[in-house]
Amino acid sequence: MGRILSTSNGVAGVILLTIVLTAALFGPWIAPYDPQLFHSQARLQGPSATHWLGTDQFGRDLLSRILNGAPSTVLFGMGATSLGVCAGTVIGVIAGVAGGRTDGVIMRILDGMLAMPELLFTLLIVTFLGGGTLQALLAVGVAFTPGMARIARSAVLSVRTREYVLAARARGESRSWIVLREVLPNAIGPIIVEATIRVSFAIMIGATLGFLGLGAQPPSTEWGLMVSEARQFMFRNPWGVIIPGIAIAMTAMGFNLFGDALRDAFDPKRSL
Amino acid sequence: MDSTPAAERPVLTVDGYSMAYDTDEGRIEALKNVSLSIHRGETHAIVGESGSGKTTLAWAITRYLPDNAHDLGGAILLSSEDMLAKTAAELTDLRGRRLAMVYQDPSSSLNPSMTLGDQVTEVLRRHRAMSPQEARSEAEAALARTGIRNPAAMMTRYPHEASGGEKQRVIIATAFACNPELIIFDEPTTALDILTANQIIELFLELREETGVAALYISHDLGLVSRVADTVSVLYQGEVVEQGDLKTVFAAPAHAYTQRLLAALPRPQDRLAVAAPQTDTPLMSLENIGVCYYTPSLLTRLLEPKTVAQYGARHISFSVRPGELLGVVGESGSGKSTIAKAATGLHPFEGRIVFDGKVYDSARALDRAYRRQVQIVFQHPDGSLNPRETIGRILARPLRLYDLVPRAQIAKRVAELLEMVLLPPEFASRYPHQLSGGQKQRVAIARAFAAEPRLVICDEITASLDVSVQATMARLLVDLQARSGAACIFITHDLNLVRQLAHRIVVMRNGAIVESFAAEDTEQTDRAPYTRELIDAVPVLDRPAISATTEVPHQ
Repeated sequence: MGRILSTSNGVAGVILLTIVLTAALFGPWIAPYDPQLFHSQARLQGPSATHWLGTDQFGRDLLSRILNGAPSTVLFGMGATSLGVCAGTVIGVIAGVAGGRTDGVIMRILDGMLAMPELLFTLLIVTFLGGGTLQALLAVGVAFTPGMARIARSAVLSVRTREYVLAARARGESRSWIVLREVLPNAIGPIIVEATIRVSFAIMIGATLGFLGLGAQPPSTEWGLMVSEARQFMFRNPWGVIIPGIAIAMTAMGFNLFGDALRDAFDPKRSL
Repeated sequence: MDSTPAAERPVLTVDGYSMAYDTDEGRIEALKNVSLSIHRGETHAIVGESGSGKTTLAWAITRYLPDNAHDLGGAILLSSEDMLAKTAAELTDLRGRRLAMVYQDPSSSLNPSMTLGDQVTEVLRRHRAMSPQEARSEAEAALARTGIRNPAAMMTRYPHEASGGEKQRVIIATAFACNPELIIFDEPTTALDILTANQIIELFLELREETGVAALYISHDLGLVSRVADTVSVLYQGEVVEQGDLKTVFAAPAHAYTQRLLAALPRPQDRLAVAAPQTDTPLMSLENIGVCYYTPSLLTRLLEPKTVAQYGARHISFSVRPGELLGVVGESGSGKSTIAKAATGLHPFEGRIVFDGKVYDSARALDRAYRRQVQIVFQHPDGSLNPRETIGRILARPLRLYDLVPRAQIAKRVAELLEMVLLPPEFASRYPHQLSGGQKQRVAIARAFAAEPRLVICDEITASLDVSVQATMARLLVDLQARSGAACIFITHDLNLVRQLAHRIVVMRNGAIVESFAAEDTEQTDRAPYTRELIDAVPVLDRPAISATTEVPHQ
């Protein structure tokens, strides 16, 4: 942790993440208004003393909506990522440890999946599964799997030929011991780092799906959906687009900077 | 070499030079008040263990230092010109032209995407302003001087198409190409096998004779140093502890550290081995073992019928008696480690292994009892311990795996094991990165002996350690062998060391056994020519006049 805070990027990432995670944990309780309450007298207003961040087309308080949307948006990012990371890691470790033909077959299939852009792939899955938050989450998770599997495999490959793994094999250790105790703990660094960076992608893809109407459905306070809904009134009140846009960018940047700093901190070349 | 006239100004003068690195842990003084001077035609050796500042000194002389390095005073003069005052542009012009360097690893000091010829001509065109045609013919001549047989063909090759020895010759040709005043050699032969290293040394001696260049020769190998250098500085923790004429220093070292370094050199006459086994029944015999690294697939065989399977080692048969130490010697690529991997089931093999009367005919057949009784210790201490486990857990693992001691006594046994390899018991709670290389290797040895094996295979266990640590490691191994009665297969490229330790020696080359003989018969006249070459390649230094009887504890 000390090493993460030693760079300005790391500090910025930690500050942004603290804000976002505080909002995600306590948002719904500290929100000043009910996020679905219409204030018909105060529609499409800019920031003011009563509505700190302004209101949308129905006069709903934007700050309250952002705070209420935080848990679902952040959870979406983390959920989709953990799904992709878990599935990807399992596949990657199997491919890396098995080697030979198994490895070849698994990796060729994944290469085929990787050839398709992540967003298109997600859209394809969502079209099959139908819209909705859970479906979108599943789709992003599946779309992340091939990339994560590649990273997990390369991490495993670099550890697999180390002498302590050879020593374990020579001792006659079981396969599961070698994978769980000797290989994985030493290969987990790059996987964790990649995962934090991917959380930001997941949030952005989630927002994109929300914007396209394929993710969360109204009157949900998911941030992507908020941007989408406010778009029509953008010229009358730009705040409706700017506020959730900034929230998304902050979260994505927070995870991204934190992930970068984490990667640098794990890099053995940086430690003396 | 002949003594230089005192009136002539030295090519290199380092005068009271100190420097430090700024690190997270604060300022670390890497060089303290180092002084030396080298005259024309003279070779000055820098010796010392790793971390003593040898290479830092080389970087400091070439002024090629990282940003966190700071000069703390003193002067470095190249032919009386102040190197510390030079600008970056002046240094760029000077490096390669007046000051050349030859590094340790020839494969990483050449650009893999340029032909060898282009890399030599580049230097000539840059520093001697030659036309492309002139540079090419000059480069060819330079390569020819280094004894490369077909220089024109070598010019068109890429680094991966040349052997390690050839690459180092090309680098030396480049270094000599501009007739520099000073050449710095930083362990130029460490990455090469002993016979090639020897040829490189001969080449250097020849070229020095021709050109009269001054050289700074950095090495930890005192034997090789004694062949090339006229004067020597012994570096210890950034300080020159002893300096002078090489013969005088090596014959009668004054400083305790020099004495220890020289005493640590393996000398075949100082036998360390345990008593030879009385029985002739082998504990383990390898019968016609072959390890195949590449089998062409069906498709390859159909398309290119000429491709053949490639063997790391083939038709290997030898046996080890209980309690015996069998030395396996050979240059890199001779198949020594391949045999170790096959015998521990890390690589599939052909043929059969007979261990204690039981026959195993494939790597899969090696059962748990076999794996417990045959343990392996690897070359790199940094790689052989899992960095995420404590030393205690690492040592406890074989105890649990093979159910050797009751659970309640594991901690006690771990402490005993640590004590056995002369490490304090509190090391049990430390992590591998908190230990030095020598200490890690001790832990690896303790782990092997924890399984109460009957045979321990040591795969170059001393190769990546300093000379002084090597000697203590060898003594430790013999001591453990005496205590446990285990047999040992000691794989090494260091013939002098193995002659101290082994009862019998097997010489390997190109994946086959050249010959095997009893250690005391090494000098016999009927040795194979290859064995002879190996013996002649390693100079045996005489014991220094002051014998270092008191053993200085080290690591």
